Parts: sequence; C-alpha cells; structure tokens
Amino acid sequence: MKTLLSLAALFLAIFLAFPIQEMIPAVPALHGARLLLVPALFFYGAVALPTSTMLALAVFTGLLTDLAYLHVVSGQVEIAVGWSIVFFVILGLLANGLQPAFQRGHWWIPIPLTLVATSLFLLMQFAMISLRREGFFFNEVVVWRILGAGVLSALVAFLIHPIAIWSGRLMEDSTFARRTVLAKP
Amino acid sequence: MKKLNIILVVVILIGAVMLSTMGSKPMQGLQSVFLSLVSPFLKTGSAVSQQIGSVGQNLKTLDELEIENRDLTLKNRELMATNQLLRDIEAENNNLRQALEYRERSVFKLLPARVISRDASTWWNTVKINRGFEDGVESDMPVLTETGLVGKTTTVAKNESIVLLMTDETCRVASRVEGSVEQGIASGQRVASAGTPGEVQLSFLSKSANLQPGQKVYTAGVSGGVFPSGILIGEVKTFKARALDGQAVLAPAVDLAGVEDVFILVGAK
Repeated sequence: MKTLLSLAALFLAIFLAFPIQEMIPAVPALHGARLLLVPALFFYGAVALPTSTMLALAVFTGLLTDLAYLHVVSGQVEIAVGWSIVFFVILGLLANGLQPAFQRGHWWIPIPLTLVATSLFLLMQFAMISLRREGFFFNEVVVWRILGAGVLSALVAFLIHPIAIWSGRLMEDSTFARRTVLAKP
Repeated sequence: MKKLNIILVVVILIGAVMLSTMGSKPMQGLQSVFLSLVSPFLKTGSAVSQQIGSVGQNLKTLDELEIENRDLTLKNRELMATNQLLRDIEAENNNLRQALEYRERSVFKLLPARVISRDASTWWNTVKINRGFEDGVESDMPVLTETGLVGKTTTVAKNESIVLLMTDETCRVASRVEGSVEQGIASGQRVASAGTPGEVQLSFLSKSANLQPGQKVYTAGVSGGVFPSGILIGEVKTFKARALDGQAVLAPAVDLAGVEDVFILVGAK
C-alpha cells in the first residue's frame, strides 16, 4: 500500500512539476536558464524504483515532456513526440543500474545524474532545433542556458531526498498524527 | 536485466518511434489535451501572482475612482465616435474597391485574451493565453495589442492557446518599412545575445535601403499570409548592408516580456 501511494505521489509530482516550472521565471543572471523540476523528480524515481516501474515512469515523463515542448509552426513539427520517451528510458536504465549504490546509502547519486541529464536533454533539444533550422551555432548564452539549468535542477535534486524521507516516514507511521496530538500536554 | 524488462524496453522504444511518425495534427491534438489538463494550475498561478502584484495598487480613494471613471467614460465615448467614423470610412473604402473590382477587405473581430503563462521553455519564445477553440480561436491567427504585433497562435486547446511570439526565430512576418518601398522578412533570434534580449531582425532588404533609426515597420499583409497589413511591428534601431542584402535590427513595438492583455484577430465576420 505504501509503495503504491509513493508511486502515485511520484507520478502526481511529475505531472504538477510541469505547470509549476512554467510559473517559475527564467533566471536573468544565468542568461535566461530555467529551473526544470521534472528531471530532478524523474532521476530520483529512476534510482529508487524497480526497473519495470521506472520504465512506466519514463514513458509518462517522456510523453508529457514532449507534449509540453511540442513546437508546431505552420504544420511543421520541430521535435517529434516520442524522442523524450527514448531519452528518459535510456538514461533511466543507466540510473537504475546505480540503484544498489543508492540503496547502500549513497543518497547523493541522483544529484550529479540530474545535472548531467538535464544539461544533456537541453543540449539535444538545441541540436535538434539547429539541425531542423539548418544553422548550428554555439555562444555563451547557449552554454549558460544548458549548464545553468543543469545546476539549478541539481539543487532541486539535493532537496528531494530529505523530502522523500520525511514523507515516507509520515506514510510508514500511520499513528504519526495521533501521537502528535497525544504528545501535546 | 530480466527478460520481461528487455521486452518492455523494446516495446516502449518501438512505441516511441511510432509516435514520432505521427502527423502534426494528431500531435497538436494530444498537446491540446495536455494543455487543457495543466491550464487550471496555470490559470490559478497567474491569478495568484496577479493578486499578489496588485496588492496596494488597487487601493484607491472614492474621489480617485470617480475621476478615473469620468476619464474612462470620456475616453470610451471618444473611441466609440472614432470607431464609428472608421467603420464609415471602411464601408466607403470597400464600396470604392468594389467599384474598382478589387477584392473587398475583410473585417476582423478582436477577441481580448489574457496571458496565463510566459516563456515556458528554454529555446522557444511562446506565451499561453486563456482563449481557445470554444471562443473561436484557430491556429495561425494574429495576436496583437493596441501598440502592435505580438505573434500568432499555434496549438489551440478548448480554453487555452499557445502564442508564438514574433521574437521567435520560427515566426516570420512579411514587413514593409514606413516612408520607403523596402519590404523584408522580420523574425526573432534563436537565442538572444546577452545585451540584446527581444530584438527582431528584418532581413532581405535591398543593400541600398539605408534605413534610419526610428523608422516604423508594419506588416506587409501578403496574400495567403497570416498577418493582415498595417500592424505595427516595431522601430528600426540599426541598419547594415551585408554581402547580398540589407538587414535592420528592430525594437518591437510591444514589450513582450511584460505583456499581459492581448487581442486575437479571429477572422472575418
């Protein structure tokens, strides 16, 4: 029951992360880099969940990501729906391979994973757009936007573990609320 | 890895490849469903931030409100009178065009809309607005404000639409320069350089155009295009002659980073 609840909470958190990250403005100091919450949540799930469940999460995350970023102008699709699913499945499998280390107490593993994966995701998006528009260039702003977003997401990933532990304890101990009330004088 | 997981991975990858071969219409259909699902959260967030931003601004005395109301009533009458006059001129113009066997100009309807989310992605310049196909919005409809052009609609959901801003590289607008015969294509930049956010480039001008800063640029309104003629795009900032053509940098007429209320041109009545 607890596992199912945690899983539902993770799926819901990823869905809600889309409108929330849209509401967070870009950081002007980082040349317009944006905070992406979705990769941070996904990679935490990828190292914590069994492989089959992680794959379901990758499909869910990838599909929503593609729909969130779908850009169609005059009937031309810039990045087709489906590529993010492939991205999250492949990187999710890599992250899932690090699960034994995560279970041994290396709780920080999702943090560098999120940094690298977020930056890689944006780099691939930029490369695909550039290929379609037939003009590749790289400048300081592009680098800032790719790496800045990775760093911002890694900071979020740093916060996810304590939140997950805290919420897990809440669910584990169903008498938590009752004991809190009883403990009051 | 278990055999079942390997099969799952293969099935998912085949499914993803099949999804990627879909046409743009079904993809936009899926996106509009997603947009409808997330829009309640976006609308709530937009309303909350608006409320927070307007704390203190909306507190006015009764006297101030009375003066404002009087001014607005006067302005409204003025605009109604001007509007009536312009309608008469429009009718007269259409009659004359008919007499000269020109095609009659379409009469457009302005639909007010509010921005509920802006700059949702790293590489594309878009905003989301609170009007969709239920309000008569379709894709590729011009979006503007009283000061000039904003962009055009792309994906349209039930009560929301995505607007591609004219500062995006993929938004190309046929343009003409005031006081000259110069015409060109205005488009944004993929990634604006550090000191020049939100600039628009006007390309394919003649090398000898020699445009001056401050010259106004309007939509040219090519036949079969999205934008009707005469919508202000912006002002010329600089002009340079390149090897084959001339290129001007424009400052958009609308502050796209702060725009909140827009109008959609919802087609001929």
